[in-house]
Amino acid sequence: MSTKPKSRWASSAEDAEYEARQKKEKEEKRRKKAQKLQEEEEEKRKALQAAASQAAETNDNDDNDDAASSSSRPSKRRKLTPEPASNNSSATLLRFDVGTWKPSRSVDNYDKLNDIEEGTYGWVARATELATGRVVALKRLKLEAGDPNGLPVTGLREIQILKNCRHRNVVAMEEVVVGNDVSKPDNSIFLVLEFVEHDLKSILQDMPEPFLSSEVKRLLLQLTSGVAYLHQNYILHRDLKTSNLLLSNRGLLKIADFGMARYVGDPRPKLTQLVVTLWYRAPELLLGTRTYDAAVDMWSVGCIMGELITREPLLQGSNEVDQISKVFELCGVPTEDSWPGFRRLPNARSLRLPKQSPLASGSVIRARFPNLTAAGASLLNSLLALDPEKRPSAKEMLEHEYFRQDPKPKPESLFPTFPSKAGQERRRRHEPDAPVRGQAVALGDVDFSGIFQGRDKEERGAGFSLRMV
Amino acid sequence: MSSLLANPLATPSQLYRRASSATLPRDVDEAVYFATQCLTQAAGRLLQLPQSVTAQANVLLARFWLAESPMAHEFSDISAATIYLVSKLGPLPRSPRDVSNVYAYLSSANSALFPSGELPKDDPRAYYQTEADYYAFQQRMLGLEARILQSLSFDTQVSLPYPLAITYLQTLDFLSQPRTTVSLRTIQYLNTALLSPQMLYITLQPNALATAAIYNAARDLGAKMPEHEWWEVFDVDREELGFLVVAMRSVEGWMQKLKEDFPSFGNNMLKRSMVEDELHRRGLQVGNRDKTPRDEEDEVMRMMDSR
Repeated sequence: MSTKPKSRWASSAEDAEYEARQKKEKEEKRRKKAQKLQEEEEEKRKALQAAASQAAETNDNDDNDDAASSSSRPSKRRKLTPEPASNNSSATLLRFDVGTWKPSRSVDNYDKLNDIEEGTYGWVARATELATGRVVALKRLKLEAGDPNGLPVTGLREIQILKNCRHRNVVAMEEVVVGNDVSKPDNSIFLVLEFVEHDLKSILQDMPEPFLSSEVKRLLLQLTSGVAYLHQNYILHRDLKTSNLLLSNRGLLKIADFGMARYVGDPRPKLTQLVVTLWYRAPELLLGTRTYDAAVDMWSVGCIMGELITREPLLQGSNEVDQISKVFELCGVPTEDSWPGFRRLPNARSLRLPKQSPLASGSVIRARFPNLTAAGASLLNSLLALDPEKRPSAKEMLEHEYFRQDPKPKPESLFPTFPSKAGQERRRRHEPDAPVRGQAVALGDVDFSGIFQGRDKEERGAGFSLRMV
Repeated sequence: MSSLLANPLATPSQLYRRASSATLPRDVDEAVYFATQCLTQAAGRLLQLPQSVTAQANVLLARFWLAESPMAHEFSDISAATIYLVSKLGPLPRSPRDVSNVYAYLSSANSALFPSGELPKDDPRAYYQTEADYYAFQQRMLGLEARILQSLSFDTQVSLPYPLAITYLQTLDFLSQPRTTVSLRTIQYLNTALLSPQMLYITLQPNALATAAIYNAARDLGAKMPEHEWWEVFDVDREELGFLVVAMRSVEGWMQKLKEDFPSFGNNMLKRSMVEDELHRRGLQVGNRDKTPRDEEDEVMRMMDSR
């Protein structure tokens, strides 16, 4: 439309009309979304009010009533000015439904039911909101008293990311509540998360029979669409593993624990290599790459796929060196052909690899998973490609033939239910020998202070040599 | 994700509550706001942070002060806490030590922010910080960091109008002006608007700010604007635009007046004690006089505990 400046403005009547139409459509979409949000808010607030007035009875009926009544009401839009008198302009202006800010509420609004998990990375409990009776998961941010850098940046990132994420396969955060020592810098901070009954790790450990391949497909599809959403929004999760994947009683999978996650925008921020639990860590990270991208998450997805099929973590290394040798055993030894430039990675320089014999250097994935169809094996092979460039993106993976072949992915509603553990009892500590979590949490500091605490271990891996054969 | 394009905004009731429960007379309140936002900008320059980071700190401070009285904490501490927090969350984190040094320098007699007429001679002794000074500063700053986060319910996302303004200018083909000239003028208006006591960044959306800045830049440069109501393309209505155009253009004159009304405020880094003196001069009661000494005592106790 760039011919002459004049004509552009001249023709803008039609343009405006077109634009208005487009905007209308867009706005309609946005408004629907906003309305949904609004409804949720409304529901929450109404529920609160209802509970306040009739303090004693807080039951599920309330929720339903509110949902019904609030959906019939038009969503409130913020108006700073009255609608423009529409004498000459028919333009509908885009308005976001944004809301405002208010202080965090106190944790006293919730009543703890039982601990779900208490481990190196904090504490999660099941709780009810007193006003509504709704069950939620409370996750306390781990704060170091007297940390010279103040609140941990990993925790603040987790909050910001969860606040911005809305996807059915990503765990939803409702709010952040605080303890009562408001004036103290190390006052407790709790994330109020939606409560999901199981984590995939415990289910895998306890199930007598492995998942059917139709179930594996559905779980993978859900995981991948969640990951695709994150990557599309410039978020790297950086700690995908089965214990961070939650599964509801209705077969709905949700990605949780964003303690390692961060936004990667443009310009690319400096990223730490010390991410991802060892067993799920991509080879480029193990070799000390300084630049990495969404492909590290896709490697983890590959590991999870293998684990869903066998019920056992795929690559259980005991330390970094062992991990990388397990990776090479499964996926083959990298060559300049299969992974151009890998020799330039910091930890690969001194890497001594066995003499190339085609037999030893190839991938054995196909043999490890004899029951997988050709399409399934090719997908797993591509996810576990040593060269990050060769791994599919989450979006590409969703289109993979594997998901279209029979057996088709099983509908979520037909998923079996599992005896609830998180409901009553404490979850078992996962992966006792995974060394990473504690280490990983300390990493947050690394970005900032440049003081590499807990890094010595990692660095010892730098000069390792690997002998195979 | 609308959060990339829009901000949460102050509600009319919040603004009303702030105005009605103010601890300071309006002109003093505005002077404090302006001085503190300028201080943040200066600190951002010295910390070598891009304007996109410093501007976010300005906005967070405005959000925080909507609910909290400015007199509750030392102004420079709040300024430091916001800039530290924003830089920590962004791609260019700055250490508490750096922030502390910068604020120590800015408050010293050597500070280039408050020219005393002659060129400041560089005397490091003027802004040297003892370990105890640093520790006390760091404690105050980190305490405020937590405080700010809690009162904003941990929502630190700020959408700025700068990228939108450039996109809009491209759409308008830079109004047939030299690109750098018109862009620069637009950015200048946006930067100045950060300092406006009308708190434009927490009452209006980035698209409105960007559009008004372009409008003002075009007027200044005598550029020809489209004859239609082009601002509607950017989702701004005439009334909003009109308000913002005036608000942005009036900041400069308002700053002049400020200089005349509060000659002492420009000589030093503004402190609460200076504001209290001013109130005293006017024969007004200082809102929270009884609170201040207690805070200091707390501070001393905390310092002693930590030894």
